[in-house]
Amino acid sequence: GHLVGVQRRAVEEMEEVKEEGEEMDVNDCGGGGLEVVRVLVVDDSPVDRKIVEMLLRRSEGIFDVVSVDSGKKAMEVLGLNEIEAKPPNHDDQKIDIVLTDYCMPEMTGLDLLKAVKANSSSRSIPVVMMSSENDSERISSCRAIGAEDFILKPLQVKDVQRLRTYTVPIGPMSKRGSKRKLPMALIAKSNGERHAPPR
Amino acid sequence: MALHVSSAPPISAFHHLLCFFFHDTYPEMEYASSLQRQLASMKKNLFDQGYLDEQFYQLEELQDESSPNFVEEVVTLFFRDSSRLVANIDQALQKYPQDFRRLDNIMHQLKGSASSIGAAKMKNECTSFREFCNKENREGCLRSFQKVKKEHAVLKQKLENYFQLLRQDGPVDKATRSGN
Repeated sequence: GHLVGVQRRAVEEMEEVKEEGEEMDVNDCGGGGLEVVRVLVVDDSPVDRKIVEMLLRRSEGIFDVVSVDSGKKAMEVLGLNEIEAKPPNHDDQKIDIVLTDYCMPEMTGLDLLKAVKANSSSRSIPVVMMSSENDSERISSCRAIGAEDFILKPLQVKDVQRLRTYTVPIGPMSKRGSKRKLPMALIAKSNGERHAPPR
Repeated sequence: MALHVSSAPPISAFHHLLCFFFHDTYPEMEYASSLQRQLASMKKNLFDQGYLDEQFYQLEELQDESSPNFVEEVVTLFFRDSSRLVANIDQALQKYPQDFRRLDNIMHQLKGSASSIGAAKMKNECTSFREFCNKENREGCLRSFQKVKKEHAVLKQKLENYFQLLRQDGPVDKATRSGN
């Protein structure tokens, strides 16, 4: 009854947003509204994936989420897998930003970051690291390789809201990906300072 | 006959009025509000006794009409995943010589998931275990792991009870639906 009606309205609203997104030029930065940002979430923890997916989906409809459970699968999505190479501008795999866990088996988040930054077709894609460990060496090494930010888990609403800023182009001739590198969140320096989460 | 209305009508008058207007639903309303009190009390205890922390509230904030069971889904997923990790640690502890690095890796995953759902006591026990791992103290690991398993089991039971009660509570409008 009531719940079905609410769900139907939610689906209708999502479809409207999707239609608007499809009509817009993805490179349009003339102030015609917010573009949908496609985020590739990489995390071997099913619990953390589910929570991050929900955080992204609840962020005012500006994120489209693709999530995988390993660095290897992330490479496939990004078209960096040597065996199954995909065209770099293949629409279905167009990723605007990568949000990856640091600690993963086999291929770590750091390995993934290195691979993304080593490849000319993916180098411009911003990569944001997540970790439950507040390790200054880890943060520094990620920054040195080109990570946009390093976020402590568990993620909060403000953390995902800030993701969008890493993909906003500066001007009409800018390519996807931010040329303006925001300062890395030096969480180690600030000694774990964090806004109080809302109730 | 003039009806004398005092400035502070007795509670019994309201009780009769409620029974008159909601004659079929008043018992349901009482039941619903009793259920809500139980739920509130249960949740308060979970926090006061340190089983849950602020992160659990964060999950609740993410729940909405389009995902009305989000918290329960996450918790269910947690216990499925954590049971697997606990079994892996159990197996790894039986091996000799002990691979402390592997033990630490698995416990790191368990601690991370526990932290993500706000399972504070579990998280703390996982931290203790990892400290014993770092010191390659097998006896310490074994003792600590018993505590991890205990906290895991206790939390599982408490949250199962909580969500069972929550399901009985249902959407708010059920409480005011008239009976037949």
